Amino acid sequence: MRYYFINQEMKEFSLDVESKKGCLEFTVEGKSTPVYIKTLAGKNYFSFDQIKWQKLATLGVNETLVSNSEVYKVFRGFKPSGLNKGGAGALITQMPGKVVKLMKSVGDKVTKGETVLILEAMKMENEIKSGADGEIKSINVKEGQALDSGFLMVEIEEA
Amino acid sequence: MKSKRVLIINRGEIAIRVAKALNELGHVSVGVWTDNETEPPHLEFCQEWVHLKGNNNKDTYLNIPQIMDIISEYKIDGVHPGYGFLSENREFSEALAKKGITFIGPNPDAVYKMGAKDISKQIAKEAGVPVVPGSTGEVSTVEEAMKIASEIGYPVLLKAVAGGGGKGMRPCMDEKEVQANFEAVKREARSSFGYEGLLVEKYILNPHHIEVQILADKKGNVFHVFERECSVQRRHQKIIEEAPSPFIGTDEKLRKEVCETAVKCAKAVNYDSAGTVEFIMGEDKKFYFLEMNTRIQVEHPITEEITGVDLVANMIKVAFGEPLDFKSQDDIKIQGHAIELRICAEDPKTMLPAPGKIVGFETTFPTGIRFDHCIYPNFTITPDFDPMIGKLIAKGFNREVALRKVRSALDGLIIDGIKTNIALHKVILREENFEKGKYSTNYIGTIKPQDKVAEKESMESFMIKVAGIEMNSEVRP
Repeated sequence: MRYYFINQEMKEFSLDVESKKGCLEFTVEGKSTPVYIKTLAGKNYFSFDQIKWQKLATLGVNETLVSNSEVYKVFRGFKPSGLNKGGAGALITQMPGKVVKLMKSVGDKVTKGETVLILEAMKMENEIKSGADGEIKSINVKEGQALDSGFLMVEIEEA
Repeated sequence: MKSKRVLIINRGEIAIRVAKALNELGHVSVGVWTDNETEPPHLEFCQEWVHLKGNNNKDTYLNIPQIMDIISEYKIDGVHPGYGFLSENREFSEALAKKGITFIGPNPDAVYKMGAKDISKQIAKEAGVPVVPGSTGEVSTVEEAMKIASEIGYPVLLKAVAGGGGKGMRPCMDEKEVQANFEAVKREARSSFGYEGLLVEKYILNPHHIEVQILADKKGNVFHVFERECSVQRRHQKIIEEAPSPFIGTDEKLRKEVCETAVKCAKAVNYDSAGTVEFIMGEDKKFYFLEMNTRIQVEHPITEEITGVDLVANMIKVAFGEPLDFKSQDDIKIQGHAIELRICAEDPKTMLPAPGKIVGFETTFPTGIRFDHCIYPNFTITPDFDPMIGKLIAKGFNREVALRKVRSALDGLIIDGIKTNIALHKVILREENFEKGKYSTNYIGTIKPQDKVAEKESMESFMIKVAGIEMNSEVRP
């Protein structure tokens, strides 16, 4: 089974895992690493050496996972098509929020780093800036609209 | 004492904390849910559940008319506001008083007097409590600024009247710097705030945030429950708190002076509930009144841990005219040390809020740990509320033991699906200055532990995540 991890910048890596009895065998860059699993009193535990065991948090399938500052969309066994579109001209929400103010309209010219809209999350206002020089192609949000993470708010046609 | 019906007009971990105290005291805990939080975890501890209509705070937790309607409909005897929301709102406590409903907090007059910065400073001054020395009003010329500066002594801070958030202020070490900076701060004030009025204030070098817990009853008895130090802050908000203060340390004379000064402040406004008097303390151990928070505070558990005093239960008892659990100041003693880490849904490097859905949650803690939280798998942290989702509290025989325990607890705390500041706490708890207890409110800004947090963890940690998904029953029925 192949797992795809895709981060905020649409950079991805994958992990191959094969399920064996009492063990998950990972293959990363040709090197194989077994992770042993035991279930005890309804909780799961993992070990790399079958000596030291630690509690394993059961996680959701095809969800967002986090490692310190990095946020990953995780896909089990498949990679959705179309996720790689966008690039610097696509403004996608990195966190759920509410659109406070739209600073631009469709057809407006923008420069890289220019504020396109203001998104409010957790009592803080965040300026969402253009990642490229270009022209606003589409705006898919309205002022006051509440958005989930991963929403394509604005598309900018790169000049 | 007859059982009372108490409405908790709050959410998250503090609603759970209040509900636990109400249940233990034999009162009826009434919790609320709203349209933007239909499965709030705090209801687990509430005996009755009420719908607070609306999907934003203005229509729900801040909507006094709707709350008053619920109070009549559900025959509520008292209201606990928690912290934030309506906890320090005079209009709300007056509306309750008019209807004969008990507000579990101080009297409206105390809230009003301590809520207005200029009034509270004046009251403190009159009570003989030191406030940060400075100009009494705006300073219009550089000569005037230098005259005041030489009176209060250097260093001084040139500060925009309209300032805030660290903008429009500059420290000046001597007369030359005042001359050099005066016009610049004026310009900055005009461009940032549209108003160029300036103040001159004593600049406190490497200040410590020291606060004293107050517990008072309705009969005029005011006690202190010792101090907390909350100097680890970002954006002027605390992220780690300790009790007792490592800066005061073993200086019992200073501890007594700070605590008794706080009692003096509370008495000056006839305080009659749980509250906190905040001070700023310089390197020279001179301290000045900042403000009084007229509510139960986020960091109250560390005081409970080192004294054994249940602050929330006592706050409820005194509100209904019952006596406190203790009789005299001498009944309250410090035993050991406690540290609290605020666990927030935020990026551990930028410290900016990062809402999302929790998809994995496990704990493995040593003894001496208290975790006040509202976390469960599949809990969605919405952008509508504060990013704090839990408080990890460790109590130990001394500071070293408390540190040992809280480090171990942090290693056993797994939250996935959202960014949290757990990785930042791990760095701070192993950072030399923090370990030694030598830190001021400049800690995050100068030591920058956030820069030592790795962007991401090892490849093994990703294997563990995949193992966590593989063990999901949806994958392995």
